[in-house]
Amino acid sequence: MTASAAPSERPMPQRQMRRRRNLAPYLWILPSLLLYIVFKLAPMFAGIYLALLKWDGIEQPEFIGLRNFARILSDDVIGLALWHNVLYAFGTVVAKITLALLLALLLNQSLRGRTFYRTALFLPVVMSFVVVGILWSWLYSTQFGLINSLLTSLGLGMLAHDWLGDPATALWALMLVDIWKWYGFHMVIFLAGLQTIPVELYEAAHIDGASRFQQFARITLPLLQPVMLVNVTLALMGAFNVFDIPYIMTEGGPANSTIVMALHIYIRGFKFYQFGYAAALSYVLLVLVTLIAAIQMKMMSGNDAN
Amino acid sequence: MSESTLLSGSTAAKTGAFAAGKSMRSERAAIAIGSHLVLIVAVITIVYPVVWMIFASFKSQTEIVTNIWGLPQSLRWENYSEAWANANMGFAIFNSIVSSLGTVLLVTILAALTGYAFARFRFRFSLAIFLLLIFTMHAPTPVIPLYLMLVRLKLTDSLLGLVLPMVAGGLPLAIFIFRAFFQSIPSELVDAAKVDGCNEFSAFRRVIAPISTPAIATVAILQFVSAWNEYFLALILLRSPEVRTIPLAIQVFFYAWGRTQWEQVFAALTIGSLPMIILYIVMQRHFIQGLTAGSVKG
Repeated sequence: MTASAAPSERPMPQRQMRRRRNLAPYLWILPSLLLYIVFKLAPMFAGIYLALLKWDGIEQPEFIGLRNFARILSDDVIGLALWHNVLYAFGTVVAKITLALLLALLLNQSLRGRTFYRTALFLPVVMSFVVVGILWSWLYSTQFGLINSLLTSLGLGMLAHDWLGDPATALWALMLVDIWKWYGFHMVIFLAGLQTIPVELYEAAHIDGASRFQQFARITLPLLQPVMLVNVTLALMGAFNVFDIPYIMTEGGPANSTIVMALHIYIRGFKFYQFGYAAALSYVLLVLVTLIAAIQMKMMSGNDAN
Repeated sequence: MSESTLLSGSTAAKTGAFAAGKSMRSERAAIAIGSHLVLIVAVITIVYPVVWMIFASFKSQTEIVTNIWGLPQSLRWENYSEAWANANMGFAIFNSIVSSLGTVLLVTILAALTGYAFARFRFRFSLAIFLLLIFTMHAPTPVIPLYLMLVRLKLTDSLLGLVLPMVAGGLPLAIFIFRAFFQSIPSELVDAAKVDGCNEFSAFRRVIAPISTPAIATVAILQFVSAWNEYFLALILLRSPEVRTIPLAIQVFFYAWGRTQWEQVFAALTIGSLPMIILYIVMQRHFIQGLTAGSVKG
């Protein structure tokens, strides 16, 4: 590369040089790209072929065309699982965003102990879902759990409940755990967004006589829109990919009341060894999550254009 | 408001402003108190369950169900020694450290090189490759083909087989972070190093890498926490007790012993999460910055 200063006296070496220089960047990205292709993209594409097979992993695979995909349409559980993902997405996104935004607004004041509050509320983010899930299974337990014990001591004993054992409440109980673990994360992102809003805007609005609510609705919310988009998308994708909490806390039960897509795929694949069908199922999830990501990208670039 | 009323009413306006200032001050105080109250309730609901877990890990089996809320009456350290042995926590901690550090090392080095190339070089398809990484990053990998491929490669039941998919999963965001960081470094720095006889790679290694600690810390923390807590891949890939990582070891222990030896389960939960919690508290600023970096900049 140092020789590039000498102009075209000897054309051959220079052309070689240019070719080498053009190849050099690929060497920098090659190791990452190889790993990514082998362990991420290859399964994503190889799965399409796998989805055309009937295979239990032991016997000879049998090519059955699109029958696995046709079977998706008549699968009783998949509708339920998708519905639970939708409910889960709705509940967790609304609760996480509301809580996170509210607390971020509180923390955006000049308040004593801000760092303490922020650190404490972010704490569950660094814990694994295994620990959190087992801990909460116990908190929800009928007789010895903190939740029922709290309700009883507040004189609300009649509300004490087998939260995870009742199909009517199990999914909501799992959502609460997810909200508990993640809203501090979304709060920090909102907080970062709030801190980019110039104080002068509020001062000007105040002089013009805008109420606090008007300031929030006219200044804060519009300017938070990009951050809001990030938060909603992350929470949405998390809700559609959710596996750890329902697997650890309820295994999809009772009576499939907490079955979700990722769990359904896992059970088909690793409990019933229906590899082809499970592969076909993963594309339902893949397409859904990719759609969400695509919509976000589209909206992001729209934001930039403005 | 006309000029005359403004002038004639100046004293009235002054006293009015004074009263308004007073009420505003008390309004501000009320808001501060209200904010603290809400925040304290939020903090209690977040922190108390974790503290409760640590309390329970020192209680006896009967004390956990009789003394639900309080401090442990005595510290039963034997919960820990029993849990340590029964849940194979020694292996688990070792495996978690090896696989997490391995992931951190690989992702940081590979993503730094790639992010640097995207930031500094112009080459064919660079934007297309970059967008492909970003676009597919959140897509859930179909797990069955991944599993069957790792079986074929004889990488199941081994830490390497766990690390490589974790690295692949972590690369795009890390590349994104490094690219943004390197774009902020003036290229004159590298040009100067090249005048001094460095080639592109040695300039990167000697000049760029040493000033990249903020980006390296961000990526390393993000990868460390997610690798340390990775459960799904461990669940499908690791079978033997000797290769289990902490989340898997704890879950297996909970399924086997949770209904009989719950005091040990709480000890295992504490062993499994306390190191990370302490690390987090000590370095909270870096952790929060690292774990939210991709999303805040994105």
